[in-house]
Amino acid sequence: MIYFDHVTKIYEQNEGEKIEALNDVTLHIKPKEFVIIVGHSGAGKSTLIKTINREIKPDSGDVYVGGINYKDLKKRDIPYLRRKIGVVFQDYKLLPKKTVFENVSYALEVSGIKAKDIKERVPKILELVGLSKKSNSKPKELSGGERQRAAIARALVHQPRILIADEPTGNLDPKNAWGIIEILLKINQLGTTVLMTTHNQEIVNKLKKRVIVMKKGKISRDQEMGRYEE
Amino acid sequence: MTKFIRILKSGFSNFVRNGWLSVASITIMVLTLITMSMFLVVNVVLNTGIKSIQDKIDISVYFNDDAKQGDIIALQEDLADLEEVKTIKFVSKDEALKRYEEQNKDNPKLLESLKDTENPLPPSLEIKVYDPSKLDVLTPIFDNEKYKLIIHKVSYKENKTIIDKLFQATQFTKQVGVIATLAFTVTALVIIFNTVKMAIFTRKEEIDIMKLVGATPSFIKGPFLIEGAIYGVISTLISIMIIGTILYFLAPTLVHYFGGVGDDLSGFIRSNIVWLVFAQLFVGIFIGTVSSWLAVRKYVKIS
Ligand SMILES: Nc1ncnc2c1ncn2[C@@H]1O[C@H](COP(=O)(O)OP(=O)(O)OP(=O)(O)O)[C@@H](O)[C@H]1O
Ligand SMILES: [Mg+2]
Repeated sequence: MIYFDHVTKIYEQNEGEKIEALNDVTLHIKPKEFVIIVGHSGAGKSTLIKTINREIKPDSGDVYVGGINYKDLKKRDIPYLRRKIGVVFQDYKLLPKKTVFENVSYALEVSGIKAKDIKERVPKILELVGLSKKSNSKPKELSGGERQRAAIARALVHQPRILIADEPTGNLDPKNAWGIIEILLKINQLGTTVLMTTHNQEIVNKLKKRVIVMKKGKISRDQEMGRYEE
Repeated sequence: MTKFIRILKSGFSNFVRNGWLSVASITIMVLTLITMSMFLVVNVVLNTGIKSIQDKIDISVYFNDDAKQGDIIALQEDLADLEEVKTIKFVSKDEALKRYEEQNKDNPKLLESLKDTENPLPPSLEIKVYDPSKLDVLTPIFDNEKYKLIIHKVSYKENKTIIDKLFQATQFTKQVGVIATLAFTVTALVIIFNTVKMAIFTRKEEIDIMKLVGATPSFIKGPFLIEGAIYGVISTLISIMIIGTILYFLAPTLVHYFGGVGDDLSGFIRSNIVWLVFAQLFVGIFIGTVSSWLAVRKYVKIS
């Protein structure tokens, strides 16, 4: 499903200092897997994720998603690729002036889905993430957990084969965090490949899923039923 | 279709959200369109003015009373050979008198005094040419030794100066019109470019999110082009209303002062209003979309 072949991404900081956000990363994620990526802040987790939805282009190495080598991807194909990959961004990226419903339907509007279909699909997805009651609220009227759910709803509304969630439990209390994890597990059971990053050791250890540990842009450990300790 | 409607809607909301920048864009665009239209109209007025004077022009060649019929006919034939000449009409002494009587029929005293004397009016040739600017070609014929003796007077000079002046005026307004319209167009382009640029900057976050949820470039860029086009449409409406109002109040005055020209003008407006609206619409939409397209191309990075 996802295959990284010696992928490197180097950022240039202000003073010409170079940071290897991804350093020769090779990794393979099979369809329907549930994978957790852990690592310190700045380890390159978000960079890895942004490489998958083509928000950034690696400096070297090959990225394959769904059998497509991103090097063969044309600029005009990128929007269609992004509709097949649901991404929950670390900073949500919800539009502040739109309601929850509008934020979710927006993702369908941009891809030209008919209004009638949107009206059917959005409530279903809001139901799934448990946000039906907040349908008409603006993001700033929501709690952190609710915003996270709204972001997940938007990522799922395209019914993507892959769901990527960057820190979906960050800043959430344990109860809310588990609520989010349960949604991701449910999605995974329905057949979607799920890839999430987290700092939360407790969640990692309880989930007993595949864990990839990143350190300074490198994969330092990759383990089925993995644990995460400092 | 669904997609197009969404782009249209979003373009409208761009336009509304821009506030006073939209007003500035529309103001300058209205000025552009009015300038363009006014010069078009003035040009037509001057051209019709010239035409009507051209139609009225007669070169009259007055003959001495002792001029022989044969010589007059010879001159007439020489003139007819020139391709510049449109019509030639011989006016005999009797006919000239008849005309004079007709023109002065309200003045019985004058007519009474004429009865006593012999007909004082000379016979003449009335000549019309196609192009009054080429009247000079006739001069050598009148200067010919053969005819010099029989010709009493040739009258055309005054008309020619009026026409020359009108020609110069048209030439001048054409130049001024083109320059002013161009200057306004460039200003409009710059202002709308900046308006759309601002719109792009204030909506940067939204644009980034659109990209990330899989919007195609056309879906992202379309609304800004629509916004530009809307400036064109609204400006056309305003400009037509302003021009309409001005002409409504001006037309009677024009008819009063210029007679035929004023009639021509309001007639021209009436018969060409559709054409004028479409010309404005075309220019307005063109300026609007081109400047937003330039702004979008420069400031919306698609990746
Ligand atoms: N656009 C950028 N320009 C320059 N450097 C960047 C950029 N984005 C990330 N970096 C650097 O790349 C490194 C990896 O960043 P990344 O966001 O992938 O870390 P992370 O593992 O997601 O961290 P966190 O857990 O805090 O989210 C960091 O050192 C960061 O400073
Ligand atoms: Mg991160």
